[in-house]
Amino acid sequence: MSPSDIEARPKQKIERREESTRPGAYFHPAVDIFEAADELVLLADMPGVSPDSIDVNLEGDQLTIEGRVKPEDYEGLKPLHVEYGVGGFWRRFTLGEAIDCEGIKAQIKGGVLALHLPKAERARARRITVQAS
Amino acid sequence: MAIAYRDPLEQLQRELDRMLESAFGSVGASAAGVYPPVNVFDAGEEYVIKAELPGVDPGKVEVNVENETVSFRGERTFDEPNRDVAYHRREREQGQFRRVVRIPGRLASETARAEYRDGVITIRVPKAKETRPRRVEIKAD
Repeated sequence: MSPSDIEARPKQKIERREESTRPGAYFHPAVDIFEAADELVLLADMPGVSPDSIDVNLEGDQLTIEGRVKPEDYEGLKPLHVEYGVGGFWRRFTLGEAIDCEGIKAQIKGGVLALHLPKAERARARRITVQAS
Repeated sequence: MAIAYRDPLEQLQRELDRMLESAFGSVGASAAGVYPPVNVFDAGEEYVIKAELPGVDPGKVEVNVENETVSFRGERTFDEPNRDVAYHRREREQGQFRRVVRIPGRLASETARAEYRDGVITIRVPKAKETRPRRVEIKAD
């Protein structure tokens, strides 16, 4: 079976970003999120974002991802023909599952952020020893 | 006096927005139906063509430069998780892509080069010698 052609979806520009301190345009990254028995995995397309310009933040059940592009990649370039806007990526998610913050792993390769969010261990069955008096 | 912090990217972003708006009617819209969208820049001695292709194996992308045309094609495929998972969101697309971009000028195709970094492909094609900007010396008596 030959794979089908990819359909273009315009980048979604974010008009207003909460608590934005950095100037510039931001877009919504396309994401895949899947859940396995022990973790949630989030994959986000963030082209132009290098490993040193990405922030992942988990506060309570609010997960925020933000990536910035490097202005120097566009130095000395005069646009002649434009089909997409250039900027950073930002998106926030509410997690339905308790996450073990210490165990979160993030890596970005080829402009794709891969985030592994291990589920918090359920309250462990505690064995209580009853001491004989 | 207050110092205004200016991101050097901002000026370019405004310029890109303005050009997008005039070409497609609204900011953020891209050419309908074609993937991936491309931006073409003039960098003085060369043309620079950029396209966002996150998660693509650069070894599976073929780039061709011919006369006044730059084309590239390839495939974007992901490894499926090899365990039981439940998808909550599935927005990232897989499949084939092909773009043919006509450059508004003659190209020196033999010295074209392409690189793939952080999910962006950048193709640089020098302008044909006779169309490059040339500095003309003024002779004085």
